[in-house]
Amino acid sequence: MRMKKKMTPEMVGLSVGEKNFIKGGIAQDLRNDGRKRLTYRPIYVETGVIPQANGSARVKLGETDVIASVKAELGKPRVSHPDQGKVYIYVECSPTAEPSFERRGGDELSTELSIALERSLLGGKSGAGAGINPASLLIKEGKVCWDLYVDCLVISSDGNLLDALGAAIKAALSNTGIPRVQVREAASSDEQADVDVSDEEFLQFDTSGVPVIVTLTKVGRHYIVDATSEEESLMSSAVSISVNRHGMICGLTKRGGAGLDPSVILDMISVAKHVSEQLLNKLDSEIEAAERANEEEP
Amino acid sequence: MEYVNPEGLRLDGRRPMEMRQLRAEIGVVSRADGSASFEMGNTKVIAAVYGPREVQNRSQQMNDQALVRCEYSMANFSTGDRRRKTKGDRRSTEISLVIRQTMEACILTNLMPRSQIDIYVQVLQADGGTRSACINAATLALADAGIPMRDLVTSCSAGYLNSTPLLDLNYLEDSAGGADVTVGILPKLDKVTLLQMDAKLPMDIFENVMQLAVEGCKAVDSYIREILLENTKTLEIHRGV
Repeated sequence: MRMKKKMTPEMVGLSVGEKNFIKGGIAQDLRNDGRKRLTYRPIYVETGVIPQANGSARVKLGETDVIASVKAELGKPRVSHPDQGKVYIYVECSPTAEPSFERRGGDELSTELSIALERSLLGGKSGAGAGINPASLLIKEGKVCWDLYVDCLVISSDGNLLDALGAAIKAALSNTGIPRVQVREAASSDEQADVDVSDEEFLQFDTSGVPVIVTLTKVGRHYIVDATSEEESLMSSAVSISVNRHGMICGLTKRGGAGLDPSVILDMISVAKHVSEQLLNKLDSEIEAAERANEEEP
Repeated sequence: MEYVNPEGLRLDGRRPMEMRQLRAEIGVVSRADGSASFEMGNTKVIAAVYGPREVQNRSQQMNDQALVRCEYSMANFSTGDRRRKTKGDRRSTEISLVIRQTMEACILTNLMPRSQIDIYVQVLQADGGTRSACINAATLALADAGIPMRDLVTSCSAGYLNSTPLLDLNYLEDSAGGADVTVGILPKLDKVTLLQMDAKLPMDIFENVMQLAVEGCKAVDSYIREILLENTKTLEIHRGV
């Protein structure tokens, strides 16, 4: 069984003095780049970056740079859930971000991120409480549905990959157009149902229920939001909470060694809810601006 | 299928000797020692260079020169149909090898013994000519990393369809079944460092097509030099020169 590779301070190359400086700064609410503990780095969103996909977006959070693309393909609903479509989330870490990601080196982190995203965005096994409603992907019960493949690529990493990926997926879904489908009644209604996929008409995906992910990283006695990789290397534990527009928690992941007192976790959740409001507003306005910029382009 | 219509226009409206639009940017991955993105029409790639740094695998260390390594990977969403295997398949392995050999030939490896230079190329969108775009991006990334090179390496492809030599094939033209000649040159030294072709061509036509590809490489070279010059001016301003 392989040991989980942690982002150790040695890998990021921090001296004892630097470590103390970062920890001290966080304790005094003044981080290395001048931010307060609960401030996000500037978010930059660009949509429609992958023209051949149904929807796509590129999000830069400081130096963290990720791309998310959404592809819709026709498929068959699962036998256990004939009234739902399927959503798959897959993350890949490019070696351009980190030399250790070459060949299979990035697999562990990719899997961890994919599963954390699925947990935050796709709800329970029955599909209940999902940020992306699988019932909206149904075309014909038991026969035809949309399979949504959400593929993400991490190009550059400076910490807080999960939040950036969550934001990128939300932006990509806002940019996604699902073709309108006409179901032709088949003569023998056994397995195949013929569908006419429109080339012209597209339905915009409804993203009002899609949550954002807020990761709180505990360094020393305080938590910070949107940690850089330097700050992440000093963390004792991290909790990622996905919150939607209505202030409801859609998923929770705790990562990292040190144990947390339950009251601390409850406090982190309320902090995350508070921060997520600002993040949601900022993200929505950035997505709108990006979509407008797309339309203005000839 | 008509790849060059009677008026002499190709499927995307270009003339036979016209390249696609080039766009390059330096420094897209700040964590890397050098990085660049390169676009040729709809083909978009990012290259990142890490090095010279300590050799990770001691058994591969060379005492008189640097070790150059390369990995080519394609994003899931880079091709029209969603791609299942992004790296490790035969095509990716071959292209990694090709890029490594091409760049190794032009890097002054003997100036950096016992070290390792890693070149990672990530394809974001593939629309024909990915090999060439990767080499061009790698050249820019190596220059951004300040790694000493004999010359820039630039690459371009050309083909032959409907009895016409065509410069810089896109995916549709590449899949048409005609010849696809990829050339990589060292422009200042005027030497060919990479030459690959598939399908078959008569000898005299091959010469024309290859010459066309070399002209394309030279056009890429002048564009790359422009980009590098602009980048240097920006660096000068930041240094307060």
